[in-house]
Amino acid sequence: MLGSVAKISDSVNFIGAFDPQIRTFDIIMKTANGSSYNSYLIRGSEGVAIMDTVKKEFSDDFFKRLELLCEYDEIKYIVLHHLEPDHSGALVELMERAPQAKLIISGRAVMMLKGLVKTDILFEVANTGKIISLGDKTIEFLSTPFLHWPDTMSSYLHEDKILFSGDIFGSHYYDERLFDDKVGDFDYAFKYYYDHIMRPFKQYVLQALKLYEKFEIDIIAPLHGPILRSNPHYYLDKYAQWSSDKKFRKHEFGKKMLCVFYMSSYSNTQMMAQKVMEGADSIDGIVASMYDLASLDESNMIDLLEESDAIIVGSPTINGDAVKPAWDLLSCMAYLESGGKIGATFGSYGWTGEAPEMLHDRMKWLKFRLPVTPLKVKLIATEEELQSCFLFGKEVAEITMGKMVEMEI
Amino acid sequence: MVRVFLKDDNIVVKVPSGKTLRDIANKTGASMEFGCRVGDCLTCIATVTSGMHFLNEKNEKEIRALEILCTDSHNLRLMCQCSVEAEEGEIEISYGF
Repeated sequence: MLGSVAKISDSVNFIGAFDPQIRTFDIIMKTANGSSYNSYLIRGSEGVAIMDTVKKEFSDDFFKRLELLCEYDEIKYIVLHHLEPDHSGALVELMERAPQAKLIISGRAVMMLKGLVKTDILFEVANTGKIISLGDKTIEFLSTPFLHWPDTMSSYLHEDKILFSGDIFGSHYYDERLFDDKVGDFDYAFKYYYDHIMRPFKQYVLQALKLYEKFEIDIIAPLHGPILRSNPHYYLDKYAQWSSDKKFRKHEFGKKMLCVFYMSSYSNTQMMAQKVMEGADSIDGIVASMYDLASLDESNMIDLLEESDAIIVGSPTINGDAVKPAWDLLSCMAYLESGGKIGATFGSYGWTGEAPEMLHDRMKWLKFRLPVTPLKVKLIATEEELQSCFLFGKEVAEITMGKMVEMEI
Repeated sequence: MVRVFLKDDNIVVKVPSGKTLRDIANKTGASMEFGCRVGDCLTCIATVTSGMHFLNEKNEKEIRALEILCTDSHNLRLMCQCSVEAEEGEIEISYGF
């Protein structure tokens, strides 16, 4: 039992729960090695802080471990680094058992808290720089939003040099040996977690890493998987590298990438794509490429989408819809950040021609910037219509290069 | 018409009084992020760098939401709660805070 309240440092213990049987997490992630819901107890000379709780089904384990280390009336603070249910599942019960404890959450978590607990709870908001004291222990908070929920924050225990990072630096990897230097090889789980959880938030990862720079970090205590103590900077560096890597050489030449993805039944949308690409490529500073969605692997799609500054999608309309490969392409955006990317859509059609507008709407919800109206051509484009396609591509490329858009609505 | 400059997207749009920022974002394809769209989640927080007085007054919901941030900054707004309320003028907005 001693191992299950493992000492992280002189004043910090693990009081989380293990979930060795879970095989799918949050619907989308495979968890071949199970997972853990990490929670920590910090003891100071003037009280105790509980850093996060666990998934509701595992509350008993959490409370048993907690009770081995403290009385409920010793708890001064409960910190929730974000409110996702796998970390807030025991919150309400904990607050009932320790009514004197003050809950600390981020500003963005306030409205979420009301939705989650359906009752009034006293709380305090922590922004970057807020400090709480347990007498001889000092906890400083850092606002690190969107890693991976909007309300995410991190905290740093000064005296023990421990970063409580939240979900960032986590792994879905169950191993009761707990520490990175004791557990089995979890490199793949660490990378898989980054790819599926943090990759869409690269810019926020880089912002968080900047905030962490000012601290001397001996231990990273994430909310899932191994606690990272052997060489925390190895993991910090990995995140920095994955969040800054460019896969394509075009960026090295200072060029912006514009990709035209298309699918065509009778070559009509393909003819449009060719002209759109030529128009885009006529602008200095742009490298335009076109890809037939009929033969593009998903992993290639993801890389191309991620690296592109602008994405133009062409689809014919079949049965009143865009074709499936076009939807599949856009569904890959779930793994990526789209904020700030330019988007546009086009397509040839026979009867109704909804596809470009439907794709445009989808891209809007994916937070693309869509400065031009979708372009449609009935069946085979005329010379004049092909010229419109050229100008359409040119306009998107110019905006990608920073041309100011002026309009009246 | 009021000239609204969305700095992050390099978009200038001229709009009549009464036009909501949600509508402006929608029509221009601007990349400003919205979450709940009802003033709860703070996702659409933005900094109005000039022309605040050409926007509607903050409603109670927005005031309460912004208080959560515990900041002294007076130029923050929730874009989902904003509309242009002037016949002429210039507003400059950058997303986030």
